[in-house]
Amino acid sequence: MTEHQMPFDHQPDTELGDALRRALEPAAHDAFVARVMARVGTTRAGSWDVLASWAGRGIAAALLVLGVGFAAGRMMQSTVGTASIEEALVMGPADSGGAAIAVVRGSRPPDASVVFSSQRP
Amino acid sequence: MDRYAEQARRVARAVLRDSDDADDAAQDAFLSALVKLEQYDPRRPFGPWLMRIVANAATDRRRRRSVRSAEPLDPGVVGGGPRPDVVAERSALSERLRQALAELPERRRLAVVLFDVEGYSHAEIAGMLKVPEGTVRSEVFHARRKLRTLLEDWREPS
Repeated sequence: MTEHQMPFDHQPDTELGDALRRALEPAAHDAFVARVMARVGTTRAGSWDVLASWAGRGIAAALLVLGVGFAAGRMMQSTVGTASIEEALVMGPADSGGAAIAVVRGSRPPDASVVFSSQRP
Repeated sequence: MDRYAEQARRVARAVLRDSDDADDAAQDAFLSALVKLEQYDPRRPFGPWLMRIVANAATDRRRRRSVRSAEPLDPGVVGGGPRPDVVAERSALSERLRQALAELPERRRLAVVLFDVEGYSHAEIAGMLKVPEGTVRSEVFHARRKLRTLLEDWREPS
């Protein structure tokens, strides 16, 4: 705080600095630190809550999409499923229908003569 | 955080006269710094980065407060009121310094506190306040001139 410190000196003015430090000195340091740390904890918890709510919504949306997809699949299956192989065979030419059904429904392998026969059974 | 808590509170108090407000601003700054931590360049010193956030938080809070209510200063205290009791001399000087600081423009009081109290360089303060280094020198000079006068007046009669 002497004349040689004027005006644009690069060194801090220790006397003025000490006086200002005393003037601005905060009280209850530990209480302040504890308060901020508590806020940090709740802020982090808050952000996790937000993320968790997002995750919950995402899971619900995914389940909904799966459910809709499953239902649509079942509906398509039920309409296509009416035409089975047997029925398709039944719907073949009227003159060969019986032989074909006998071959498909039979528990034993067909006789080759039946299959390759040009005559009707 | 423990290391920078007092410094942050002092810097916030240089902007905000009320110590509770200053603590709230310092707390806001720490929480904000936590959120912005990924923006911090570890090759640079941490103190100036944090103090910039503190100064911004305090300035924001001061602006919000000044919108709500204008807080007039008591000119008698700064302008040489009656001398206090010797026992309370130090605290009275502190009060007068706070009042004198409050009369300075915000950038000026931040500059002098960051330079003379916290020991940051002109260049670092320029980075914090986003002003040229010459402006910081000028602000520190003008703030010192006023505050030194106050200190000299305080010492002289004794």
